[in-house]
Amino acid sequence: MRRPLALAAWLGLIAAAVLVPPLLGDYGVAVALSLAMWVALAESWIVLSGMTGYVSLGHAVFYGLGAYVGVLLWNTVPSGFAIIAAGIASGGFAVIIGYPALRVRGPYFVMLTFGVAELVKYVVIDLEAGLGVFSRLILGGPSVIVLYYVMLCLAAAATAITFLVGRSRFGYALRAIRENEAAAETIGIAVGRFKLAAFALSAVIPGMVGAVAVARSTYFEPLSAFDPVVSFTMVTMAVIGGSDDLRGPLLGAAFLVGLSELLWANAPQIYMIILGVLLAIFVLFAPEGIAGRLFVPARRAVS
Amino acid sequence: MQILLSGQLLFAALVTGAVYVLVAFGLNLVYGTLRLLNVAHGEIVMVGAYTSFWLFTLAHISPLISLFAAIALAAALGAAIYLGLVRRLFASPRLLQRLEANSLLLFFAFSIVLQNVAALLFQPTPRAYQYLDRVIQLGNASVTENRLVILIVAVVLCIAIILFLRLHIYGLAIKALIQHREAASVVGIDVEKVQLLSFCLGFGLAALAGSLLSMTEQISPFMGFPYTIAAFVVVILGGLGNLVGGMVASLLLGVIETYGVAFTSSSLRSVLIYGIFILVLMIRPQGLLGSRMIVR
Repeated sequence: MRRPLALAAWLGLIAAAVLVPPLLGDYGVAVALSLAMWVALAESWIVLSGMTGYVSLGHAVFYGLGAYVGVLLWNTVPSGFAIIAAGIASGGFAVIIGYPALRVRGPYFVMLTFGVAELVKYVVIDLEAGLGVFSRLILGGPSVIVLYYVMLCLAAAATAITFLVGRSRFGYALRAIRENEAAAETIGIAVGRFKLAAFALSAVIPGMVGAVAVARSTYFEPLSAFDPVVSFTMVTMAVIGGSDDLRGPLLGAAFLVGLSELLWANAPQIYMIILGVLLAIFVLFAPEGIAGRLFVPARRAVS
Repeated sequence: MQILLSGQLLFAALVTGAVYVLVAFGLNLVYGTLRLLNVAHGEIVMVGAYTSFWLFTLAHISPLISLFAAIALAAALGAAIYLGLVRRLFASPRLLQRLEANSLLLFFAFSIVLQNVAALLFQPTPRAYQYLDRVIQLGNASVTENRLVILIVAVVLCIAIILFLRLHIYGLAIKALIQHREAASVVGIDVEKVQLLSFCLGFGLAALAGSLLSMTEQISPFMGFPYTIAAFVVVILGGLGNLVGGMVASLLLGVIETYGVAFTSSSLRSVLIYGIFILVLMIRPQGLLGSRMIVR
């Protein structure tokens, strides 16, 4: 009974998303685009941090790298290639950095991810300054509506990946690592390889999202592309929504995108303060997130 | 080459190191006694810096006096955080299960809130004021008085802290807690009280460092994180709860940073700090003390 209902809900959601441009006009598309972007980012974050418990506070690095690769390639190769290249670059970077980084546990890993993101940010800033470039522009990029559909595909792909990983042996292995890494290793899970795969998987989509986002904003500037606020927003969305539930990031993203539409333009600091307070409240009082609060009691009532 | 060998750089390295000693010892205290990493530590430095900045700008109170206000403010903040948030983490078994991730998110949220409250109240633009900025000759180095003051205060404080930990009953209790939590409570140490104390003390030291460096550095609502990173490097290199190790590591970091920037360019400062941080973490994931550091 529940399965077809859930399926219908997902299909309805996709249909509604596809119909945004003809029905809601320019502002609607702009908001939907940013919603799709955050869903894609937060769902990707979950593959690593929700499932393995290795909390990344530096996912902005993948988004920023994707944006950088995207802006470098955008005018030289077909845009599809630029987006794919951005995904590959971010995934590749995740493999390189993840190999040593994932040996580090707990708070050390969290700090390390933040540190790596900041390091890459400053390296790119120095690199661009060394090259004498202060911001790069994309001229004649695709229209906002095209970009919206691309971003929607990325959001759908990220959600599908999280869904499939969550159901697979791979996903169960990741959760086993979260609950007790030593025990997981004892029962034969290739802990190192699985963590690395989850890390890379959670980096590819943010890279592609970065490339699309840079085409949307039409310019690249390292300070905003690698802004720690991007990482922070991803984490907050996932935690508020519920970080081990497919629907969590969706709810968290919808909630925070709405909040940011209200506040970001006029009162960015108040928006950030609310974000921080919400994160603290959810960590302390509802670690299962909105999704956990909303759906678990209903599920019990059905069965 | 001439400038690299002069006392000028050495003095600059010493001052940087002295500030790191104070910041890092605060972090070390909180991490050592609670095993929680306070990623909002640098924001407390920022709070201290703003306290001195405003008291100087509005009331012409010397930072050497307002540093006591900064310490008191930060200690009160520490007590509020400990009693309001941290104790809740320990109280709920469900939260305790994933204590590290939860506490980090909590402290991270706290740092975001502090940064943005400061940005809202004081504007995000960097500020500075001038105090004791006369240049005096010290050997072959010319130094400003305020830097000399920072160095002197840091040295006096280090001696005071060492004496406190060696001689005072609460100092001994803090050391006991750092060495072994369970054993400490078995021998009758009031763990709650000592944790609260080290929280306040750690916050107070961070604010003191901020208050001192507001004399020489530009301050802004977002100045804090590099200090958290620097403190973290020092704690790992020097060893948990090891003040002497921390002092050596602080001076080392000060020297590396100062000379590194002098050899290359000041735009590479952040790259250098984060680079050292990442290298230290990757090469010695559990710190120089080995696995003991991450055992709860």
